[in-house]
Amino acid sequence: MEKEIFALVGFWEIMLSIFMQWQAYTISNIKTFSVQSWILGIFLLWAGVFHGFIALIILALLTIITRAIAMPLYLGNTIRKQIYRARENKHRISTGLSILISLLLAVFGYLVYYLILAGHGQSLVSIPITLMLQGAFLIVSRSNAYSQLIGYLVMENSMFLLSFLFSELPFIIEAGIILDVLGVVVVAGLLMRVRDEDIEKEEELLG
Amino acid sequence: MIYLLPSISATLGAILSFSLFRNKHKEVSVLASFLALMFSIFLLFEPDSFTAFFYVDSLSKIFLLMISCVYLGVVIFSIGYLEHSHGHLVKSYQYFSLLDIFVGVMLFSVTLNNFGLFWVSIEGTTFATALLVASENDIAALEAAWRYIMIVSVGLTIGLVGTLFLYSSAHTLSITDLLSRQNQGSLFFLSGMLLVVGYGTKIGIFPMYTWLPDAHGKAPAPISAIFSAVLLPVSLYPLIRFFEVYQNPSLSKFAFVLGFLSVMTGSIMTLNQRLYKRLFAYSSVENMGLSLIGVSLGSYALVGTIVLIFTHAFAKSGVFMLTGNMLHELKTRKIEDVKGLIKIMPKTGLFLFFGALAVTGTPPFATFFGELLIVSKTINYYGWTVGVALFFFLVCGFLFINYRVINMVFNDETKPVSSAKESPFTFVPVIFITLAAFVILIVPIFYRFIEGVIK
Repeated sequence: MEKEIFALVGFWEIMLSIFMQWQAYTISNIKTFSVQSWILGIFLLWAGVFHGFIALIILALLTIITRAIAMPLYLGNTIRKQIYRARENKHRISTGLSILISLLLAVFGYLVYYLILAGHGQSLVSIPITLMLQGAFLIVSRSNAYSQLIGYLVMENSMFLLSFLFSELPFIIEAGIILDVLGVVVVAGLLMRVRDEDIEKEEELLG
Repeated sequence: MIYLLPSISATLGAILSFSLFRNKHKEVSVLASFLALMFSIFLLFEPDSFTAFFYVDSLSKIFLLMISCVYLGVVIFSIGYLEHSHGHLVKSYQYFSLLDIFVGVMLFSVTLNNFGLFWVSIEGTTFATALLVASENDIAALEAAWRYIMIVSVGLTIGLVGTLFLYSSAHTLSITDLLSRQNQGSLFFLSGMLLVVGYGTKIGIFPMYTWLPDAHGKAPAPISAIFSAVLLPVSLYPLIRFFEVYQNPSLSKFAFVLGFLSVMTGSIMTLNQRLYKRLFAYSSVENMGLSLIGVSLGSYALVGTIVLIFTHAFAKSGVFMLTGNMLHELKTRKIEDVKGLIKIMPKTGLFLFFGALAVTGTPPFATFFGELLIVSKTINYYGWTVGVALFFFLVCGFLFINYRVINMVFNDETKPVSSAKESPFTFVPVIFITLAAFVILIVPIFYRFIEGVIK
C-alpha cells in the first residue's frame, strides 16, 4: 500500500511541477510549490505515524512548517514588494515547447532508472529523478529569479522523495538539509530584493 | 570535543560580533581568529581522534591549520579594506559575523566523520557567503552572487543524490565504517560520480566552474582571498575522504578527466582575461583541477595535492588581498590600465609578482613540488602523452598569468607614474606570500604527517 501512495504522491508532484512550466504568474508558482510541499509533508507524516517513527513525524512537521508555510510566505511577501516581477511575460523557452520538454524529461527520467538503476530493485526511483529533472528544467527555462529559486526547491523536494525511497537518512542530516535549504531561500530572497535580472551584458562578468 | 575548539572560537566570534559586541566587532573577530589559529596549532600535537561524529587525523589537522591561518589574515586585512569601501550591501558588523560563521562551518566540516554532514556543512557555507559576494552592491556583484548561490546549490543537490546513493549502497555514511568494509557495486560507483560532479561544482571543476570567476571577480578582495584559498580546498575535502574509502579505476579516470579539462580551461581562459581578479580566479580553476587529478591518482600525487593546496592557500590569498590594494588606489579592475605598479605601489607590485610566481608553480615555491608530484604520477599512470599534455597546459597558465602580471608590475612605458598610498595592512599579504615560499621546507614533515591517508 505504501508503494501505491508513494506513486500517487510522486505523480502529483510531477504534475504540479509540469503545471509550473506553463505558469506566467510567479505567485501561482509559489503557491503551487506550497501545495507540493504540503503533499510531501502529509505523506511523510502519514508514513511516520504508520510506522511509528518519531523522527519521521518531526521531519514531516519541519517540512510542513518550513517548505509548505514559511518559505512560500516569505517569497510571497518579497514578491509583493516587487510587483513588476509577479508576472513573467517572456520565457526563455516558449510555453508549448516547455511542456513538451517536461513530458520528454519524464520519459528520460524513466530511461535513467531503467538503464542505470533498475538492478537495484527500486522501481519507483524514476519518480524523484523525473521530479529533479523538472526542477532543473524550470531553472534553465526561466530568467525570473523567483522561478529559478522554485526550480531549486522542487529539486530539493525530489531529494526527500528519493531519500524516503532508498533508505531514510539519519534525522540529523535530514534536519540539516532542511535548515540549509531554508538558509538558501532567506539569502536568495534578500538578494532578489536588490537584484535586477534584466541586465545587459555586464563587462565585469565577461570572459 | 577539543577538536571543535577552532570552530567554536569562530562561531562565538560570529555570535558576539552580531549581538553583544557590535561596536567592537572587529576586535572580537580578530580575537576569535587568533584563538582559532592557536587552537589549531595546539591540535597539531594532539593524538588523532575517531568517534561516531568526529574523524580527526593528520589531514584534518592540516586543513584546520590552513583555514585558521587564512582566517586570521583575512580578518586583519578586512579591517583596512572596509575602511576604504562604501555603499556595501552588508554593514561592517554583519560582514565580520558572516565571515566568522562561514569559517566556523568550514572548521567544523573538516573534523566530521559523516558524508551527510559534509554535505550539510558545505551547503551551509554557500548561504553564509552569498551576501559577502554581493557585498559591493552593484549590478555585477548581485548577479555574481545570484549565479553563485543558484549554480552551487543546484550542483550540490547532485552531490546530495550521490550521498543518498552512498547511504543506500553502504547503509552508513561514516568514514570509519566505510573504511572497515569492502566497498563495491554499481550504486557505490554511481554515488562516487555524483559526488565528484556535485562537490566539483563548489570546487570550480569543469564544466561547473562558471560561477567561480564571477564570484571571485566581484567579491571584496578579502572574500575572494578566503574563497580561493580555503573554501575550494574544503569542498575538495569530502572527495579526498571518498577516494580514501573507495578506490575504483573507472571513478579515478572520471575524476581525472574532469580535473584535466579544468586545468585546460583554466589555463587557456587566462589568455583572454581583461580584469586582473578574474585572471587569478581562472588560476584557481587550474589549481583546483590539478588538485582533483592528484586526489584521483592517490599515492604520492595526493601528497602533491596537499602540498599544492596548502601553498596555494597562502599565495593566492596574498595575491587577492594585493588586488584589493590595487583596486582601492588605482580605481580600476582592468589589466590594461595598470602599469608600473612597482613604482606606484612598491610592496604591492613586488609581492604581486612573487605571488603570481607562487600560484603558477614556480620553484622554489612548494606549488612547484606539488605539481611535479602530480605530473610525474600522471606520467606513471597514464603515460607520457597525457603527462606532457598536462604539463603543456600548466606551462600555458604559467606564461599567460606571469606575462600579464609582469606587464602590470614592471611595464611603465605608456603612463606617467605617480605614487599611491599603500594600505598599512599590506603586511598581511606580504607575510602570506613569504610564508608560501617557506612551505617547501616543511614538505618532509607533511609527508610523514599524512602517511596514513596515502594508499
